[in-house]
Amino acid sequence: MKDIIIEIGLITKFAGRFFREIIKPRFEFAEFARQCYYIGNRSLPLVAITAFIMGLVITIQSRPTLVEFGAQAWLPKMVSVSLVREIAPVITALICAGKIGSGIGAELGSMKVTEQIDAMDVSGTNPYKFLVVTRVMATTFMIPILAILADTLSLYGGYLGANIRGVVSWDLYWSQVFDTLVYSDIVPSVTKTFFFGFAIGIIGCYKGFNSNKGTEGVGQSANSAVVISSLLVFILDLLAVQITDVLNLN
Amino acid sequence: MAKETSKNIRLGLFVLLGTAFLIFALYLIGVKQNLFGSTFKLRAQFQNVNGLMPGNNVRFTGIDVGTVDQVEIINDSTVTVSMVIEDKVQIFIKKNATAIVGTDGLMGNKLVNINPSIQSSPSVEDGDLLKTRNPIGTDDMMRTLNITNENVRDVSEEIKQIVQKLNRQNTLWSILMDTIVAENVKQAIVHIKVTSERTALVAGDLSAIIKDIKSGKGTIGALLTDTSFSRELHQSIVNIKLISDSLALVSGDLHYITSTVKSGKGTLGTLLMDTTFVTNINKSIENIKNGTKGFDEDMEALKHSVFLRNYFKKKDKEKAKVTKK
Repeated sequence: MKDIIIEIGLITKFAGRFFREIIKPRFEFAEFARQCYYIGNRSLPLVAITAFIMGLVITIQSRPTLVEFGAQAWLPKMVSVSLVREIAPVITALICAGKIGSGIGAELGSMKVTEQIDAMDVSGTNPYKFLVVTRVMATTFMIPILAILADTLSLYGGYLGANIRGVVSWDLYWSQVFDTLVYSDIVPSVTKTFFFGFAIGIIGCYKGFNSNKGTEGVGQSANSAVVISSLLVFILDLLAVQITDVLNLN
Repeated sequence: MAKETSKNIRLGLFVLLGTAFLIFALYLIGVKQNLFGSTFKLRAQFQNVNGLMPGNNVRFTGIDVGTVDQVEIINDSTVTVSMVIEDKVQIFIKKNATAIVGTDGLMGNKLVNINPSIQSSPSVEDGDLLKTRNPIGTDDMMRTLNITNENVRDVSEEIKQIVQKLNRQNTLWSILMDTIVAENVKQAIVHIKVTSERTALVAGDLSAIIKDIKSGKGTIGALLTDTSFSRELHQSIVNIKLISDSLALVSGDLHYITSTVKSGKGTLGTLLMDTTFVTNINKSIENIKNGTKGFDEDMEALKHSVFLRNYFKKKDKEKAKVTKK
């Protein structure tokens, strides 16, 4: 328990340093763009396929229950709300936690154990600014975009799922979707993905930046980065639901 | 360098695509929420809004034309609902339209239905207060259903008792199972059929007769259709009435006379009812009879008298002469 509390304290301190470093000039834009490309573009196929399949599967699975109540006409409404509010953002965050969190943890961990980070420090480059700030910024901005694309693709998957057994026209499906969705569905959903991205980036960087014990430590960093960032995604999601509930945005 | 540029282009496209989807979705939701079009406001006051919330749809003649903007409690029995309505439907919503809180389907979201009135009225203006009707709540429906269920239960209980009674008694079953009864029923149906056929024929004849009567054929037809006859009949009835009136008067007079006679008043009464007078009359008649007899004898004596004997002989001769002629 003591170790967990200490770990939480260190992560908070590490995140605090991020906010101190980000306001200091010379922003590493090229590195930020490179990280955005790797985190955003390279993750898109995986996120897109997963989101599409999730939309398709959830629609197919929900249909029989709604048919039992004679409410199959509600399928687009129900699926759109659940996908946009919860499933697409959380699935995107979890995929990114697995792919990006582990990648950052392993990359920075290997840099740490091979003393590249120390070398950067010695050569006058701020390793935190160059390695951590750019990556955390990239995850913070790219995961919301990935989540938006995941929303779109999962809704398209929902359309195909609704038409596998039943018949719902393209116009009717999208009309029902946007009839159901309101700003209080979209805004909290997109907002929480910024926090998911920040959490994934900061945990991955923290674990990599504090890696030790040689190559074994690199593996451990990657593994714990995935585990902790995934857990943090769920905790943040729970908090987001509570906050939206308190603010009466449900 | 070229590879870096390509990466940046792909990154830019990725970011633009994500942002475009977000903006497009927000725009479409905004359009549905009437945030971008020109709108006007309407208000309605309800006793109970049944869970209506800001953002719920407003429907006019079944079409979504706006959203609920605000739900505000005014006092313990009044809730004011402000609605944002599209400008383009303003001319169609009249001042006498009625707002009612409804539900989208059986389990759907709450909404406000604006129902037009049959009577004409000017179009609503911004901020107008619409008339409202209290919605039928689920509780009301459940209460009615409960009463219906109790009635159904009572009826089913009574039907059950009837069926049990029928099951206990063999009479009905023996009637139902008896083949003779079935045969009789069959014959009765045949008889009914024959009777109905004959009745149909009779009805046809009656119809023909009535048709003839209507067309004035035959005595009855003439009686019913001849207007002069009806006038004469009317006159006769009037005359009969007059006669009957006169007879009534005569009978009244007769009754008076008979009662007077019975009471012995007047000459006739005295004649009929006074026994002394009758005795006197009888005596008088007796005396007259005796007098007349005497007179006859006197006259006979005169005939044989010397002075008048020739006169009577002459008269007898003239009488015989006339008889002979």
